[in-house]
Amino acid sequence: MLQLIADGLIVGSVISLGAIGVTMTYSILRFANFAHGELLTWGAYLALTVLGFFVALGGAGPMQPIGPFSFGWPLLAALAAAAVMTALIALLVDWLLFERLRGNGTAIVLVIASFGAALAMRNLLQFIYGTLPDYYSREIQIAIRLVPREVMGGMRITPDQLFVLGLTAVTVVLLHLFLTYTTLGKAMRATAHNPALARLTGIDVRAVIRAAWIIGAVLAAIAGVFSGLTVQIRPGLGFDLLLPLFAAAILGGIGSVYGAVAGGLIVGLAESLSVPLFGAEYRAATAFLVLIAILLVRPTGLFGERN
Amino acid sequence: MIALCCTDIVAGYEPGLPIVRGASISVRQAEIFAILGPNGAGKSTLVKAIAGLVPILSGTVMLGHEDITAVPAHRMIGRGLAFVPQTENIFANLTVADNIDLAASIMKVDKRRRLPEIYDLFPDLARQKSLVAGRLSGGQRQMLACARALVTSPHVLMLDEPSAGLSPRLVGVVFDNLRQVRATGVTIVLVEQNVKAALALADRATVLVEGKDRITGPSGDLASDAEIAALYFGHASAGKAA
Ligand SMILES: Nc1ncnc2c1ncn2[C@@H]1O[C@H](COP(=O)(O)OP(=O)(O)O)[C@@H](O)[C@H]1O
Ligand SMILES: [Mg+2]
Repeated sequence: MLQLIADGLIVGSVISLGAIGVTMTYSILRFANFAHGELLTWGAYLALTVLGFFVALGGAGPMQPIGPFSFGWPLLAALAAAAVMTALIALLVDWLLFERLRGNGTAIVLVIASFGAALAMRNLLQFIYGTLPDYYSREIQIAIRLVPREVMGGMRITPDQLFVLGLTAVTVVLLHLFLTYTTLGKAMRATAHNPALARLTGIDVRAVIRAAWIIGAVLAAIAGVFSGLTVQIRPGLGFDLLLPLFAAAILGGIGSVYGAVAGGLIVGLAESLSVPLFGAEYRAATAFLVLIAILLVRPTGLFGERN
Repeated sequence: MIALCCTDIVAGYEPGLPIVRGASISVRQAEIFAILGPNGAGKSTLVKAIAGLVPILSGTVMLGHEDITAVPAHRMIGRGLAFVPQTENIFANLTVADNIDLAASIMKVDKRRRLPEIYDLFPDLARQKSLVAGRLSGGQRQMLACARALVTSPHVLMLDEPSAGLSPRLVGVVFDNLRQVRATGVTIVLVEQNVKAALALADRATVLVEGKDRITGPSGDLASDAEIAALYFGHASAGKAA
């Protein structure tokens, strides 16, 4: 039981970080971006590439794992580099595609375009990296027993998984501080609420849109690397997470960052806890059962605004 | 001194479908100027076009000596023109203080000097700085919308029906605020359905009919002109009585 909760929170962390990006593009650009999952995949693979450079340059020396983790400083540096590059990809796709459709296109045009973008991004990735799964490290990690077996089945967790939980919490807190206290963060919330009034307030909506892409993509890259770290790196990594991402964003109340975080954790927990109940093959379906149940009670989602 | 001069403005939401059809208004420095007219005359469209929210198809807008016809909406406040739309004119998801701070931060206003002035003008808001703006009453929302627009010290403040939906007492409060604002040298342009109150407040007014300015003059003249009253205000006040 406790083990399932721990597993659920780890999957939920990845979903939360991805769902924040989905909800942010939705609230500021006003469309559901189905290409968001591909940003996770690209983030994971770009980090792998950067890591490869470090290995080529420095040999095994700097690859020494930090403390109990399976990875060393190079992975953290690769994560930062991948986040920057994923943000550039998001800005590039926006400039090539979405920006041209914003003026005259309706939301549905943008949604369909995002399907196209997703296909193009995934195929390009497979063309470059191939289709075989990969790993950041071949180290086998010893899980630490946090809770003895006698207490609700006990709980074991690997250092990498703890790292994922910790960094997700830090990221969400930083994002909260950014949105609450900085001018750009307030401008983003203002634009999400009322773009016309935002312009009258002197906010350059194009700058806010760029910020939304950058933040969404950075979080997507982190989520992608986390998924690669705790599961494996695959071309379908982001696509397979797409439905949980949307379930989490809608569950939390689309447009709400805190809702996306809560939604991500709930979806992760639901998936994990459903395994002993219905079997692993129905894992993904449970997320939707929870989604439907919550929307029946609260049609706007957990943190959604009523209007 | 002319603070705002619009000449032959043609504007609309879709190409080939002008709503404002050649409207001209000329507003003097530090006066209160009312735009009146029947429902659907294009009053809101005109002020939105001046503010840069609706495309201007032809004509020019001069703010003092500057041509601001093609200035994008988010640059207007930097040029000295502020606009308070009729509805959804506050950020309901931000606190009262953040609504005011945001415009000030973006325009790099000296907050230590300006915020006390704003809160002096709207003491109701000073008492509720940390309240989420969506929970304000109708009158306080209108005050917050004005405060948000005024914090950057614009030369010209445009408001679209600031009295809409307010009780007569609150209309009095909001109009008193506008008189105080004008006393600080700000030029005020307001769209009004409430003809009597508007003419009592404004120095001059224009009546917009079918997207064109039909009659312009001092408020006193317009108020006493029986023919105009029958022609245009009759419509508006009948609409109000219904
Ligand atoms: N966003 C819009 N898109 C298209 N047409 C609009 C829009 N807003 C108003 N209109 C049309 O413009 C005309 C004038 O509206 P408006 O400027 O709001 O008049 P007023 O403020 O004088 O009542 C109306 O016929 C209305 O249907
Ligand atoms: Mg109107």
